[in-house]
Amino acid sequence: MSAVELRGLNFRYAAALTDALAGVTFSVDAGEICWLYGAPGAGASTLLLAAAGLAPRFTGGTIEGDVRVLGDDPRTAEGRHRLRGQIAHLGAVPDLQLSGVAENVFEEIAFGPANLRWPLDRIDAAVREAAGRLEITHLLTRSPLHLSGGEKQRVVFASLLALGPPVWLLDEADSALDAEGRGIVAELMLAERNRGAAILVAAEDADAMLGVADRVVLLDRGVIAFEGNPRELLSHDLAWERGPGGTSIAGLGRAAHARSNAARFAPPYPLGVSEAAARWR
Amino acid sequence: MRLHPYTPFVLVLATALLAFLLPAPAGPMALYAAVIGAALLSGMTKTVAGGALVTLPLWAFLVLLHVVLPGGDGLAAALAQGARLGAVATASLMLLRSFNPSRFLDAASARGSSLSAAFLVVSTLEAAPRLRRRAAMILEAQRARGLRVGGSPAARLRALVPLTLPLVLGTLSDVDDRAMALEIRGFGGGNARTPLDPPATTRRDHLYRWGAVAAVVAAAAWRIA
Repeated sequence: MSAVELRGLNFRYAAALTDALAGVTFSVDAGEICWLYGAPGAGASTLLLAAAGLAPRFTGGTIEGDVRVLGDDPRTAEGRHRLRGQIAHLGAVPDLQLSGVAENVFEEIAFGPANLRWPLDRIDAAVREAAGRLEITHLLTRSPLHLSGGEKQRVVFASLLALGPPVWLLDEADSALDAEGRGIVAELMLAERNRGAAILVAAEDADAMLGVADRVVLLDRGVIAFEGNPRELLSHDLAWERGPGGTSIAGLGRAAHARSNAARFAPPYPLGVSEAAARWR
Repeated sequence: MRLHPYTPFVLVLATALLAFLLPAPAGPMALYAAVIGAALLSGMTKTVAGGALVTLPLWAFLVLLHVVLPGGDGLAAALAQGARLGAVATASLMLLRSFNPSRFLDAASARGSSLSAAFLVVSTLEAAPRLRRRAAMILEAQRARGLRVGGSPAARLRALVPLTLPLVLGTLSDVDDRAMALEIRGFGGGNARTPLDPPATTRRDHLYRWGAVAAVVAAAAWRIA
């Protein structure tokens, strides 16, 4: 059984003329990082909200098809009850994901575990471990409201990490982070995958995701345009034709190919500097 | 030692009741003076000033209504009503200033009270600072795009439109986003929650609460008699 299963998923926002998602079918297994790739408006955020059971309850609209997370339907009350603390859905704006009730970062991270009625010693250990992994232990006594955007994003990550969720649904979740923070989050995703978590991550940074994702699903206006190996997608024109493009080096290769018929510039394009150096030398 | 989070609510409620039960104008004025004294003793000088500022237009209106215009009830009525409003406004601002959402939720959890109701209280009391922060962000963003907020009163009024609209729409959208974030973190699945640091009800809390109740009962009894 896959950790996340979507079958024939259609979604349309209220008053929209077209479907945000149309016949989307795919799954994410435990211990896998699946990269959801697409241009803005492709439907990645909607898909993540639907998989978390948040759309259409909070967004409005109509949904058809089947959604299963760890075997439960997150759209039903029973499913939601069983999935409490099991799904970590994280968006791009950290301010909106803070609880708003915590006096300091420790309490912010402890908010979720406390809601799940964990005993205090377990909460304390989980908070300190999550803060350590996000390298924010020095912020534990600070007010979450008075942190920088990047610090807040790390706090929100830690708040979900403390719950030890088996399913992560990340929607451009590292956009507020600096390079160091992005590196920490990439390591965190790999560690969570190795722990057996299923990770579905919507991101536009092809260079960063290339080294992290096990599989890519390319969405184009709500329809799956490609599903498979990230290298295969990013080194061919489909990434530009149906998506936001490939890696920066592949983009250079594509531009060269447009100006020259030389075989060394033809697809598949090199994805990194060393590949390009070997091929174009 | 901080008060139990429920105690300030009892005190504000008692202040509101006493403001209308005590004999006017001396009673409300003495009550206002007592509230100001309590605020000053707690180091909340700005809160006293804030309360005065909030009620200043009302004071002006009351003086106009009762003293300046013919047919008014006189200075005593204006003083009584102004003192009532001042006492309630200052006590409410003291509550807002000292309110700690986390301790309040812990208190509700420890007592097995409805967490949804507790969160509603928290959201309401936290709305003002959140709106202020958001308004400041919008103002900054609109200024960066060339909005001029100074000038004549008419120009200032016109500048309110590009500030107010995003503030209202953004706030409505935030409600859904925050509700989603809370649900993801397990909030709302019943009334049980682990209190991180359950606040104790001290002898001082009992003294304040029962003192407030006794004062209200005594004032009501006096009023009825």
